[in-house]
Amino acid sequence: MRLFTGRRLAAAALALLVASATAACSGDEQDPAKQDGPDVLRVLAGSEVKDLEPLLKEAAGAVGVRVRLTYTGTLDGAEQVASGGADGHYDATWFSSNRYLSLIDGAPARLSTQTKVMVSPVLLGLKKSKAHALGWDTKQVTWADIATAAREKKFTFGMTNPASSNSGFSALVGVTAALSDAGEALDRAQITAATPKLKEFFSAQTLTAGSSGWLADAYAKQESVDGLINYESVLLGLEGRVKEPLTIIYPSDGVVTADYPLTLLASSARKDLYGKLATWLRTPDVQRKIMTTTFRRPIVPEVRPDQRFGSAQLVELPFPNRRSAADELISAYLNQVRRPSRTLFVLDTSGSMGGDRIASLKQALSTLTGADTSASGQFSRFRDRETVTLLPFSGRPGVPRTFTVPEQGPDPVLRQIRSYGDSLSAQGGTAIYDSLRAAYDMVTLQPSDGDFTSVVLMTDGENTDGSSYEDFAAYYGTTPRNVRTFVVLFGDSDVEEMGKVASLTGGATFDAREGSLSSAFKEIRGYQ
Amino acid sequence: MKRWIGVGLALLLAGAVVVAIVLGGGGDGDGGGGTKDLATVRGVIGSEKKPFFDDPQVQAAFAKHGLRVEVDTAGSRQIATSVDLGKYDFAFPSSVPAAEKIKQDRKASQTFSPFYSPMAIATFEPIADVLTKAGVVRDSGSGYQVLDVKKYLDLVAKGTRWDALPGNTAYPARKRVLLTTTDVRTSNSAAMYLAITSYVANGDDVVNSSAQTAKVAQTISPLFLDQGYSESSSEAPFEDYLAMGAGKTPMVVIYEAQYASHLFAGDGAIRPDMRLIYPSPTVLSKHTLVPFNDRAAEVGRLLQEDPEFARLETRYGFRTADPKVFADLVASSKAGIPGGLVDVVEPPTYEHLERLISTIEQRYLASAKPSS
Repeated sequence: MRLFTGRRLAAAALALLVASATAACSGDEQDPAKQDGPDVLRVLAGSEVKDLEPLLKEAAGAVGVRVRLTYTGTLDGAEQVASGGADGHYDATWFSSNRYLSLIDGAPARLSTQTKVMVSPVLLGLKKSKAHALGWDTKQVTWADIATAAREKKFTFGMTNPASSNSGFSALVGVTAALSDAGEALDRAQITAATPKLKEFFSAQTLTAGSSGWLADAYAKQESVDGLINYESVLLGLEGRVKEPLTIIYPSDGVVTADYPLTLLASSARKDLYGKLATWLRTPDVQRKIMTTTFRRPIVPEVRPDQRFGSAQLVELPFPNRRSAADELISAYLNQVRRPSRTLFVLDTSGSMGGDRIASLKQALSTLTGADTSASGQFSRFRDRETVTLLPFSGRPGVPRTFTVPEQGPDPVLRQIRSYGDSLSAQGGTAIYDSLRAAYDMVTLQPSDGDFTSVVLMTDGENTDGSSYEDFAAYYGTTPRNVRTFVVLFGDSDVEEMGKVASLTGGATFDAREGSLSSAFKEIRGYQ
Repeated sequence: MKRWIGVGLALLLAGAVVVAIVLGGGGDGDGGGGTKDLATVRGVIGSEKKPFFDDPQVQAAFAKHGLRVEVDTAGSRQIATSVDLGKYDFAFPSSVPAAEKIKQDRKASQTFSPFYSPMAIATFEPIADVLTKAGVVRDSGSGYQVLDVKKYLDLVAKGTRWDALPGNTAYPARKRVLLTTTDVRTSNSAAMYLAITSYVANGDDVVNSSAQTAKVAQTISPLFLDQGYSESSSEAPFEDYLAMGAGKTPMVVIYEAQYASHLFAGDGAIRPDMRLIYPSPTVLSKHTLVPFNDRAAEVGRLLQEDPEFARLETRYGFRTADPKVFADLVASSKAGIPGGLVDVVEPPTYEHLERLISTIEQRYLASAKPSS
């Protein structure tokens, strides 16, 4: 009896709940436990599955399950599940892969049934003319061939940060396995041996991102690289959005494939809802819709991949079976392999930043100097070989301080950055655009040799002194326009104008008004 | 880990108790199939039997006998070690060693082994051909192909890669020749594969001492560790095999029942180039029910003795006591599955199998991988 009453109530409140689900998807911090009807399955997901939202809405009508997705980064999500932080707040997880998660101590016990929903390998998509010039449109290509062309500077590509996003991590595992020429799962010795070859390979990477979707969008807006390493589904989805079509390269020595397991948390009491949704997602009709609308390969044998997926045999490369090997690989990539970062932090220290706000800022900076000892914290610290400039400002730009983290023994410099951050104090007005301009002037005066250069702008209020946004936009037009600004919304930020800064420079905004400044800073690290 | 399983199951049970109180209130039924008269029996089972217990026809067959069977799934090793069995009326692991241990721990007076399934290998015709040329796969002479485990172990010991096999144009991958298995630390099918390979590595003898365990572990650990990441449940790698083909999973260790059930259903999942071969020797995964009370014993008895249940079990690819039921289904569905297997050995006792698994587990934990 009670069950039926609940159902009817839930149905009556449908519109309301859909609205609140949408709000949750857009990242508002709300307690997930509070707004759930009895037919809601709360899913902690990677942003990779965002393109399934329209399809998931049909699940309510088809099997009476409403899916509420909350998005998180790969490593953050894995840590949340492994530590038990997801228990009680979520019923299931849906990441593009459970492999890294399963390697964390204690995580497997938190997971119950896992249902693979679809499949997408991580591949290289290259502009058609470039693929043709390299001869890769007609012959079989290996990762070693790709590494050779990268060393010879024959092409450039974009890829996500392996510490933030599964596509980057899968690509890194695949490339390392192929280049190390190990026939079995990677271990520490093989990673060390492969590092010089990896450096050559990733010398061609000139675009990075914290998420696969953002990377694809950035590419579609401004085709500043020759290609992308991303999920096959993302590469196929770019068709029609880009000026020059992409040729998809299927490396013959192997790939790493995402299998998107919808996974019940052992702590969830909504096992029946999970079962209904998982079964529905694997019905032939839904599998076909997934294939045609999101370009992922079906997982059920009754539905065969259509011709757009090609006929190349995809050899799966072995994936590490120890967390230490996986972490070692990410760390080698960040600190030794990839191009170094050059990062400028333009930090508001005006009077309104006093008290808790300046304390949050100090903590956020401290987080990036390695004070956060979790894996995601360690992978978001200032990296070996990174050049960090801190430019505090109030009524006018302050004096910039630049630190270069050495290739070996980073700790003394990290400590210096931390103590510099701790010395900041809040007073005076807010000259946002004079200060942002000062940062761009520094970059223009000392162009970096192929580093990933970016600016972080953190301000808690409106511009009160100096030049205006319009002045800055005019100035920006005179620069090489290749440095993005990532804006942190904080306190009483002017959301609209900050959005303009981000879109003008090809950056993005990160909202720390409700959440913590440290989390926003950590998230931005994926893009630097 | 133990504690978490306990808590998870406790929550599930809390739900079940409510159901049992509501549904069980009507006393003995008239056999008419009204759900309100059914007595609920709860079991913890290996995940590969879940589709069987979820089948409405199976549920209807139990209902005829006044029973409603509810199940939770767990790995057979977990059922034998960490699951709190006090919350269940029966345990139904997928192997005799696990059942032995449970019977002993719970002082159960009887067990039922209603059905079994031999360990098999799902592969593809071109792969089987390549391995035939390499002398690893051969015809058994009884209408099916076998993978010679001794020769396979020799190949693995040498670190052989697919592209180094003579005349291999069908699958020239750089990766090592390794059968895909599930994670031996959690999954019974991998433990059964361990039983097979340890027998061969032990000079064709069942491992029955600690000295043998240590020696054998040296040879067989790489079979698991060198694969890299492996899945925790038997369904996952077989699903990859069916959906993604030879690229991901050229050959995978499975229960014969997994393959047979698709053939019997005629659902098209098994495509023409797919092949079912058997390791030689193989072991039988004997699904063994350990009842903790009379109602659960009735479940075991029905599963083992009632012809209606035997028919349903066979549809899921399991072999039952009467070989004719299975043979009839093989004949009517034209499935190429042998009637009986010649080279079958026994798994080690629970104690020795467990010791082998923990030895391999230690190697997963070690920071450096053992050289192989």
